[in-house]
Amino acid sequence: MAAAPPFARVLVANRGEIAIRVIRACRELGIAPIAVHSDADVDALHVRAADHSERIGPPPAGESYLSIEAILDAARRSGAEAIHPGYGFLSENAAFAAAVEAAGLVFIGPPASALEALGNKLAARRSAASAGVPIVPGTTVALEEDTSAVAEIGLPVMLKAAAGGGGRGMRRVDRLEDVAEAMTAAGREAAAAFGDGTIYVERLVSPARHVEVQLLGDRHGGLAVLGERDCSVQRRHQKLVEESPSPAIDDGARQALFESARRVAGTVDFHNAATVEFLVDEERNHYFLEMNTRLQVEHGVTELVTGLDLVAWQIRVAAGERLPPEVLEAPRKGHAIEVRIYAEDPYDGFRPTSGRVTAWRMPEGPGVRVDSGMEADTDLRTEYDPLLAKLMVHADDRAAAVARLRRALDETLIGGLQTDAGFLRWLVDEPSFVDGDYDTGFIDRVWGSGPAPSAEERAMVAAAAVAARTSLETAPARSAARATESAWGRLARREGLRR
Amino acid sequence: MTDLEVRIDDEIATPGDWRLEWDDRDHGIARVVGDGGAVPVLVEGSGSEWFVTLRGRRIPVSVRTWRERLMAEAERAATVHSGPVAVKATLPGLVVAVLVAVGDEVEEGAPLLTIEAMKMQNEVRAPRAGRVIEVSVASGVAVATGAALLRLD
Repeated sequence: MAAAPPFARVLVANRGEIAIRVIRACRELGIAPIAVHSDADVDALHVRAADHSERIGPPPAGESYLSIEAILDAARRSGAEAIHPGYGFLSENAAFAAAVEAAGLVFIGPPASALEALGNKLAARRSAASAGVPIVPGTTVALEEDTSAVAEIGLPVMLKAAAGGGGRGMRRVDRLEDVAEAMTAAGREAAAAFGDGTIYVERLVSPARHVEVQLLGDRHGGLAVLGERDCSVQRRHQKLVEESPSPAIDDGARQALFESARRVAGTVDFHNAATVEFLVDEERNHYFLEMNTRLQVEHGVTELVTGLDLVAWQIRVAAGERLPPEVLEAPRKGHAIEVRIYAEDPYDGFRPTSGRVTAWRMPEGPGVRVDSGMEADTDLRTEYDPLLAKLMVHADDRAAAVARLRRALDETLIGGLQTDAGFLRWLVDEPSFVDGDYDTGFIDRVWGSGPAPSAEERAMVAAAAVAARTSLETAPARSAARATESAWGRLARREGLRR
Repeated sequence: MTDLEVRIDDEIATPGDWRLEWDDRDHGIARVVGDGGAVPVLVEGSGSEWFVTLRGRRIPVSVRTWRERLMAEAERAATVHSGPVAVKATLPGLVVAVLVAVGDEVEEGAPLLTIEAMKMQNEVRAPRAGRVIEVSVASGVAVATGAALLRLD
């Protein structure tokens, strides 16, 4: 560890679990973390975790967390030397990265030029192909009114937005006569989401695994390839589960994937953290999808298998440090799995849920990590991302990691709203997942809208509800006494039990 | 408590030999204990409406006394035929399509409009058959949870 902190103060331009994650890294490096908050987040956990927080505007993200001006003002007011954007919001916004540098501050992420070059997925596809990286068969130019290219590629195809990401502007098309309509719809969705309705076509790779490679680079040409993550359990083209190593590839395929990731990074002036995403087909051929020039939601999976703190390294390379051999050649150990706990109803098409989180109990113990920005008695903010927590486990091998995940999910209790925890708990018992045999169509094909509760589960639920009703009605005095017991009293009792 | 009727998904459920042991009653955290072991649960609710979260799934349960069952029956009978029904937004988002107009006759379950929320297009469907007598929103309008969307007669 360097003797002097890389920066005195860093502004964390995000909210929720990722803001807390970055704040923790700052603290460990001896950096004073500065949070930002909209009016909706005055009392949020990430605000309380920082030394100080700057107000950046009203609740809508467009007027606060997405406002370049508001974030730069906050940085100036607080005297921050650098800005960490987290993921989402402004993290891949080239104009923001450029504005941060123009203001004399350090942007903790890849250079603005890399964000610009890789932000356009169609342009990135062309660069990857010219660097000798396999891309999904399809067009390398925008799809226009003449849709004859689709027939040449062969159906089914995926229509994708050039400016896209996160599943937006994406459409699967199975029949030629549906191309025109799907193109209009995808273009409209992309234009609304990204201000650019450009669409391109890729052949549908199915069944496919979604496997991505973590990169970390310094400003002196040092580039670490930190293994892969398999993110094939998805709904709406968005990830729910990520694991490393991927159970789908062997060492040969892995090395080929790493080589392709290096080549894609070589098409731009790259440093800091990024992820190169690929599809892998049944023959273990891989095809470049896109490169995300930011910290990923699922970076913790890589941290568990490498033992590295990726966020700390982002900050250190941004300050000009070189990556040492321990990072460049970091060995990977054991198996890690992350599941994302979302405010979504998996029994109703993973539809968003809302309300107040009334109870919040997260798992603990060996090999378990929880990154979260939630606590009990908190209203879920519907303005922002519905991610409640990331539950990660690490163990010697995949079977032990799955067993640990099952145990951790059993310890998890969330009250007040439906989450996808029921799906995740089902998943760890599902034979094809346990065998590592799944692809991106897994949820649609195997889960559907989930199984009905078993007879035993119905009996347990019935017993719990009847007992709760009768015990609350027959013992109101005791219940009231418990409710008014002071926090000190509860703490004293817990301490007493611990001895 | 033999007069309590338990229903899950509108079907009678029987508790069997399971019993409940509280862990943190203030937050509804408990365990269901039986011969096979103990399973953590979360219990929320009051009166006849409860939610039990078991193995990650939050399951609505009704626990009703004989008197509550009679009342519910009477209420159901009274609402079989009622006046206009307001269709409200069940989640916040952006109205991206209005699929019906005033005067349209719709079947129960017919799509009425589309709301985009959290990167998803959500169809709002007719709660019952009827005629559209008022449309309060247009495409491009942002709505909050509970916002009136349209009315059916």
